Amino acid sequence: MISFKNVTKIYGENDGGIVDINLDIEKGEFVFIVGPSGSGKSTMIGLMRKELNPDKGMIVVNGIPTAKMKRKRIPYLRRNIGVVFQEYKLLPNKTVYENIAFAMEVIEAPKRLMRRNIPAVLALVGLQSKANAYPDQLSGGEAQRVAIARAIVNNPPILLADEPTGGLDPDTADEIMTLLEEINRRGTTVVMATHAKNIVDQMQKRVINLDRGRIIRDVKKGGYSDEA
Amino acid sequence: MKLRSIKYFLKEGITGLFKNRLMTIASIAAVAFCVFMITLTYSVMANLNGMLGQLEEDIGVVVFLEKDAHAEDIQRINDDLKKVPHVTEVSYIPPDEALTGLSEKWEAGGILEGFTGDNNPLSSSFEIDIDDITNQGEVIEALGNIKGIRKIRHAATETELLTKLSSGVKIGGACLLLLIAIIAIVTIVNTIKVSIYIRRDEIGIMKLIGATDWFVRWPFLVEGAIIGIIGAAIPTAVCWLIYERVVMAINDAIPVIKNVFTFCSGIEIFSILLPVAIGAGVLLGVVGSMMSLRKHLKV
Repeated sequence: MISFKNVTKIYGENDGGIVDINLDIEKGEFVFIVGPSGSGKSTMIGLMRKELNPDKGMIVVNGIPTAKMKRKRIPYLRRNIGVVFQEYKLLPNKTVYENIAFAMEVIEAPKRLMRRNIPAVLALVGLQSKANAYPDQLSGGEAQRVAIARAIVNNPPILLADEPTGGLDPDTADEIMTLLEEINRRGTTVVMATHAKNIVDQMQKRVINLDRGRIIRDVKKGGYSDEA
Repeated sequence: MKLRSIKYFLKEGITGLFKNRLMTIASIAAVAFCVFMITLTYSVMANLNGMLGQLEEDIGVVVFLEKDAHAEDIQRINDDLKKVPHVTEVSYIPPDEALTGLSEKWEAGGILEGFTGDNNPLSSSFEIDIDDITNQGEVIEALGNIKGIRKIRHAATETELLTKLSSGVKIGGACLLLLIAIIAIVTIVNTIKVSIYIRRDEIGIMKLIGATDWFVRWPFLVEGAIIGIIGAAIPTAVCWLIYERVVMAINDAIPVIKNVFTFCSGIEIFSILLPVAIGAGVLLGVVGSMMSLRKHLKV
């Protein structure tokens, strides 16, 4: 589903980036990318979405090599990749429903499909009652659930999450993880960058540890580190 | 592009105008101010040009024929004159008519008494109208080659002065308009830049969920176009009203002016200005939006 071959991306000295990364993520996997800040987690997410271009190496996403992709094609790549950020990134002057609908407007999805998919994802994230609320009327957990609903409403094969629980209290974070696990169970490949040790330990999924831009550990099923 | 998307862009563009009220008003004001300045300059210029044009019409060229010119000579010269480039009208003035005209001019009349009929000392002449005063020299040169012409009379110094004034007004006006247009473009583009900068996060989110550049652009272009239309139409309409009033007021205050000069009618000026202003407003709004968006689309 996602593969990195000898991928290097360096911004400057001691300034994040990744060095010579080789990685294969299979369809349907749930993968944590963990490590301290500046270890290259966000760089990897950015490279997968082609927000960043690698200095060296080859990246294949959903069967498509992205290195020489034309700028015009990038939006179509991104439509296969749902994305969730720590800071939600909802449009403030659109309602919950409109925020989710927006992701479908963008790909010019038929109205019929919108009427079917949006209530379905709202139900999945448990926010039917908040459909007409604006983002500033939502709690952090609710806002993040809207962001997740928006990310998956077009049924992308891949969901990337960059510190999705970063700003949330532990209980709300657990709710978000349950939701991501459910989405993964339905067949979506989920890649989540985080440094929330307790969450990673609890989930017991594949864990890739980064340190100063290099993979120092990759376990199929495990916790944040080997010490536990 | 699907029809539904077009509807969506229109809707988004219009709601965008309302949701960013402050910037909408600022942008419209910027466009309106510039269009107002341009309209004002243009109206003044159009009248100055008109004034000069009317003066030019009064300065014609007169050619006098040999005293013994026969009817067939006169006919031939008439035809020859009409063939000269830039000549728009040729009118024959027989000696009798010239004498009457002269007597009327010199009201005292006394001196001309007795010079009637065969005694008329004046010869036949032609009054020639030229399309543009700047071509007068060329026409006069051509007239020199026509046989049977005794004398050519033209107002060389007046012509020169008018030509200079006329081109002065044209060049000066064009420079002024250009200057205002440049200021207008800079002001409007900057206003749009700010309004787009304020919404850069929104643009980022659109790109994030896979919107194409054009999908992001269209609602902004719709907004830019609407701002352009409103910003251009309002000041032009206001200028039109003001213009009609001012012309009326001047004509009322100084009635004599009517004999010397007729102001351009409002419809004459604004039937050109209104569509040009709206077109320019739309173009500015759209191009300004495109330019300001470019940076934010590179995500």
